[in-house]
Amino acid sequence: MKQERFVALHAREWDSLQAWLGELDRQPKRALRHELALEFPAAYRRVCHHLALARGRGYSHEVTDRLQSLVQRGHRVLYRPPPPRWHRAAAFLVADFPRLVRAQWRCMALAAALFYVPALALLVWLQLHPEFAHTLFSSARLAQFERMYDPANPQLGRSSGTNLQMFGYYVFNNVSIAFRTFASGLLFGVGAIYVLGANGIVIGGVAGHLEAIGYGGPFWRFVATHSAFELTAMVIAGGAGLQLGLTLLAPGRRRRGPALVEAGWIGAKLALGAFAMLVVAACIEAYWSSQAGLPDALRFGVAALVWLLVLVWLGFGGRAGRHGA
Amino acid sequence: MLDSVREIETPEGISLRLRAAGPLPRAQAWMVDTVVRLVLLMLAMIPLSLFGTGGLGLAMLAMFALLWAYWVACELWLDGQSLGKRALGLRVVNLDGTPVTWLPSVTRNLLRVVDALPGVYGVGLASTLVDPCARRLGDIVAGTMVVHTKETATGHQVPPAPALPLPLPLSPEEQAALVDFAERAGQLTVQRQEELANLLEPLTGCRDTAGVARLLGYANGLLGRP
Repeated sequence: MKQERFVALHAREWDSLQAWLGELDRQPKRALRHELALEFPAAYRRVCHHLALARGRGYSHEVTDRLQSLVQRGHRVLYRPPPPRWHRAAAFLVADFPRLVRAQWRCMALAAALFYVPALALLVWLQLHPEFAHTLFSSARLAQFERMYDPANPQLGRSSGTNLQMFGYYVFNNVSIAFRTFASGLLFGVGAIYVLGANGIVIGGVAGHLEAIGYGGPFWRFVATHSAFELTAMVIAGGAGLQLGLTLLAPGRRRRGPALVEAGWIGAKLALGAFAMLVVAACIEAYWSSQAGLPDALRFGVAALVWLLVLVWLGFGGRAGRHGA
Repeated sequence: MLDSVREIETPEGISLRLRAAGPLPRAQAWMVDTVVRLVLLMLAMIPLSLFGTGGLGLAMLAMFALLWAYWVACELWLDGQSLGKRALGLRVVNLDGTPVTWLPSVTRNLLRVVDALPGVYGVGLASTLVDPCARRLGDIVAGTMVVHTKETATGHQVPPAPALPLPLPLSPEEQAALVDFAERAGQLTVQRQEELANLLEPLTGCRDTAGVARLLGYANGLLGRP
């Protein structure tokens, strides 16, 4: 069949599809009510067929380019993702996220070790050699820590600022750190290892120093509750980064490219879960931990409860019950 | 390597042609986005300043949203285009040419940190120059790429002329070359048209203007015009 006849036979169909796609861009709701909306997949596949024919028969660019651009637009519409469903977010947090954390338990354990070992070691070391704190921190920073946790300070854990201000600050600061920890894992895991270790040293150093000079009371009262979410989220973000870096180094029995894509998606999910945990931590830190007037029994009771909640959630969330899934 | 067109076979058995966007238009789009975000932040600060120190906390939240959530929200709701990409005619798509979904979008924007690393997007620049699809590291890990949305100028029409039958049978490639010549004739100078037509003197049997006219006639005949 000659090109002119081919165009004459099908041009009307191409025009109507093009017009409908144009309307979909301008007024999506109206276009979807149009009768062509039901016709669309079939019409699109017919145009694909026409394009294949036009290419096979060697028609000129005038026709193939026109069909090509039509097919490109149609492809985008036909294969667009379904709209996000928000109940999936809840299901992710309750079940999928803990499952994912458990599936990556090796990286999580490694991240926890990288963080907690230096922290606990420093905590103990500073009780024996308190002067070592001056090697770790400058005097100005030590003075700042001492001011924040001074037993005479009416507000715990901060030198100034309202609850809302500190909430915004905690979200911005902590979540940015968690995201960077995950992303820097792509540098063969070095970034994640560095951030985890450095944070372990700083937190262990601060805790050890404050305990050694007798300011331990306010410090533990402040951090006990929100650390359940905050430190765990940091470890998870670091573990996600390690997982990414280790996949880059040793993809196993897969090609490096596809293995990296899969690890990247897993890491992004873990980072999103850590983000949710850090928002919760920021709420607790800004509105609960900083209340100075609470009795110790209540404060440490709630802290124990929150730690238990986090561990049970991560340990058992999404596990199939007795009836099985 | 120089050709940035990537062909993707679709389930319909045809190939999409996606033109990967290089570092320059992407850097321009990023700059537009940066300006847009700065303006948004400033606009947000005006009402927030009424809240005093609490407003500072809200400003931090706004900064967080503009730094991290802006990209993902734009890519999901604006069809794979942040405002800068829209201005420059770029779009993020999955590697199979389908519109970007939330998980790849989150991945590529989290890993922006690594691409931005030494100074301003040093790693990203190196990666886009090395990768055949001009992807930065975040794109490689997320399984996405950035493509041009604007179509290149499509082929010009073959100028109408009375159709002539071919004096001898030609192979499909030779026929396609004839039609291509006729399509592009409008973009060439008359001298160049004649120069090219003179190469085909054994086919047409005439030179210069008459040769060009004959070739246009053959092309019209091949397209099936009267």
